[in-house]
Amino acid sequence: MITYLKTISRIKTVFLKAVFLFGVLAVMGFRPDYGDAIVVGAIGEPRTLIPIMASDSASGAICGLIFNGLVKYDKDLNLVGDLAKGWDISEDGLEITFYLRRGVRWQDGQPFTARDVEFTYKGLVDPRVRTAYSGDFKMIKRLEVIDDYTVRVLYKEPFSPGLSSWTMGIMPEHLLKGEDLNTTRFARHPVGTGPYRFRLWKTGERVELVSNHDYFEGRPYIDRYIYRIIPDQATLFLELRAGGVDEISLTPLQARRQTQSRFFKENFNKFRYPSFGYTYLGYNLKDFRFRDLRVRQAINYAINKEEIIRGVLLGLGRVSTGPFIPESWAYNKAVKAVKYDPEKARVLLKEAGWRDLDGDGVLEKNGRRFSFTIITNQGNGERRMTAEIIQRRLKEVGIEVKIKIIEWSSFVSEFIDKRRFDAVLLGWGLSRDPDMYDIWYSSKTKEGEFNFVGYSNPEVDRLLLEGRRTFDRKERTRIYHKIHRILYHDQPYLFLYVPDALPIIRKRFKGIKVAPAGIGYNFIKWYVPKAEQKYIR
Amino acid sequence: MNKMMASGVLIVAFFAIIAVLAPFIAPYDPGQIDIGNILTGPSKVHILGTDSLGRDLFSRMVYGARISLLVGLIAVAIAGIIGITLGSLAGYYGGWMDIVIMRFVDIMLCFPTFFLILAVIALLEPSIVNIMAIIGFTSWMGVARLIRAEILTLKERDFIYAERAMGAGDFRIITRHLIPNAMAPVLVNLTLAVAAAILIESSLSFLGIGVQPPTPSWGNILSEGKSVMGAAWWMMLFPGTAIFITVLGYNLLGEGIREKLLK
Repeated sequence: MITYLKTISRIKTVFLKAVFLFGVLAVMGFRPDYGDAIVVGAIGEPRTLIPIMASDSASGAICGLIFNGLVKYDKDLNLVGDLAKGWDISEDGLEITFYLRRGVRWQDGQPFTARDVEFTYKGLVDPRVRTAYSGDFKMIKRLEVIDDYTVRVLYKEPFSPGLSSWTMGIMPEHLLKGEDLNTTRFARHPVGTGPYRFRLWKTGERVELVSNHDYFEGRPYIDRYIYRIIPDQATLFLELRAGGVDEISLTPLQARRQTQSRFFKENFNKFRYPSFGYTYLGYNLKDFRFRDLRVRQAINYAINKEEIIRGVLLGLGRVSTGPFIPESWAYNKAVKAVKYDPEKARVLLKEAGWRDLDGDGVLEKNGRRFSFTIITNQGNGERRMTAEIIQRRLKEVGIEVKIKIIEWSSFVSEFIDKRRFDAVLLGWGLSRDPDMYDIWYSSKTKEGEFNFVGYSNPEVDRLLLEGRRTFDRKERTRIYHKIHRILYHDQPYLFLYVPDALPIIRKRFKGIKVAPAGIGYNFIKWYVPKAEQKYIR
Repeated sequence: MNKMMASGVLIVAFFAIIAVLAPFIAPYDPGQIDIGNILTGPSKVHILGTDSLGRDLFSRMVYGARISLLVGLIAVAIAGIIGITLGSLAGYYGGWMDIVIMRFVDIMLCFPTFFLILAVIALLEPSIVNIMAIIGFTSWMGVARLIRAEILTLKERDFIYAERAMGAGDFRIITRHLIPNAMAPVLVNLTLAVAAAILIESSLSFLGIGVQPPTPSWGNILSEGKSVMGAAWWMMLFPGTAIFITVLGYNLLGEGIREKLLK
């Protein structure tokens, strides 16, 4: 996978020094110290600690430390073994055989076996279990337990995202058998195979984990992981300053304007790398105004994405012309973003029959004014500001925009799921595999499904299916490049930007290395030298 | 005019003039985005600095005054109309009508107003009109009680009997004689209610469920100011001060009127 990495130059030098130091110490037989705790601050409270039901980022982050999948992504985003030490994929792509690691134990001492994999699969495809991840697993015809350490998965048809779907955390059968996964106590008292074991969860306050000394990849150096919930960006930042938390994600403003002082340079390391997601404006394609391609293209010309990136992200992000991040192999670099051109937008709107007849500055067609509402979720300043810029720029071409900011849970359940919107400003976090069947396939428009804009293009449908059936990287690249080109032409979304991830971490934590996968991939190798340890019990 | 009332009038008039003359006072279009000038501090070009989209804070504050005062006055007008109508009906007719209306007042008073407003906003959508209406519909109870109490005593007075003897109907007696004579304490109450309404609007906008962008209101400027607190002190200081002084102004005015009329 071609992925590039972009750090702030200052950090690069710090980083080089660290690498150099590491080299010298390694020669001397250096071993990092155990101990200390890391306090991570974030605005979101996890919803559940059952991996197959964790669809928000907070739940995902914590589940990732407690559980393991059969496979995982390494620092360069290649799939490598995790609970599986190896696997075979049959010639026709219909069968994957996993060979599991031996001697792995659940944190309560029970051995991990193939039966746990089978149990997890059954949970994923059980219609009563509320999981967002069933799609990939419904492609499985049969899952066979060959022996305690061998599992064979048979697919109904060749399914290329199949292997990567097994990054899903595996759950212990002996603790969950017969339990209702939607309501089980396990969701707040999880037991996994991972590097950290669960200790406590105080609602609205914190989740605490302690290191698993028997972890199969070795005991993590940092003894405790504390996830503090502080639902406000400004407070979170003050806590970071005061030493109450060690790691947070900065907002672009904080990264650019509030962390330049000597105090921050001396006490913190800042990181910057492309996040795996993009922000977009999705149109309700059932609406007569947005059904017209010329209108959607006009809006694309009327909005200057560079302006949004400079203004909202303060330059900490990039333009994206399609549903992948620009670093992905699936991203078609030949698709060029149109130039900001309000004049062209006006021409296109005129062609589509929109004219300002009464001179109030807003276009009309068949007696209806071009006025629509953008909805977005509360608590995200960047999205609010983006909406305001769009509002301003569309006003200049004769379209009136209203903005409605809605609390997250009713935003999803009342507006997105029920398709009660004109246009929605939202972001997708992407999986590593470029398959986007759930987002664009024409039938995925039922309540709660992801094609809520109602996009339908038979050619894209065909390509999406083809992309899932194809294993050859070259062939898949060709398919996804084609999808990218069609989507940019059709403009079901106004693709806006890919924001950068901006973590900041106390300097006492060593061993952090930025890679295409970000920084979290080697968390168990992070450490704090004895002399600098802060939390000593 | 006493000192309190004078300073109240001064402050209220000052902001009222700003609100009315907003287009002439504001040096810039309050929605003019300028990506090259994000969060710049107070200077000669932007006397109160700029916000996170580079818009001129002074111009936004000036237009924000319109919203805050408008919400305050209209909400109180609604509260006044409801309160006076129900209060005088209850006071004048007494009997079952009094019981029904006053129990309804008691019920309304049981809800913590702010949470009631939050709940209603969650059902409707946040917009200026809705906010004015909701604040109005949830703050009339004090007025109703005051006017009822006044009318209970007034309606036994001789001039009312005289009026009735001359053949005046209930409607005429209530609107021409009872309400004008009962207005003094209500006026004080309504003035103070304007201050409260401005505060509620600001609080709602601060929580992001009040006046929606890009319309500036002091509350939503303040809310944005909170998220950029460490980088732009002017974004919190100026709207905060404006809210504080305006609310103080209406309180002084109300207290001043009370002192003048009721003593």
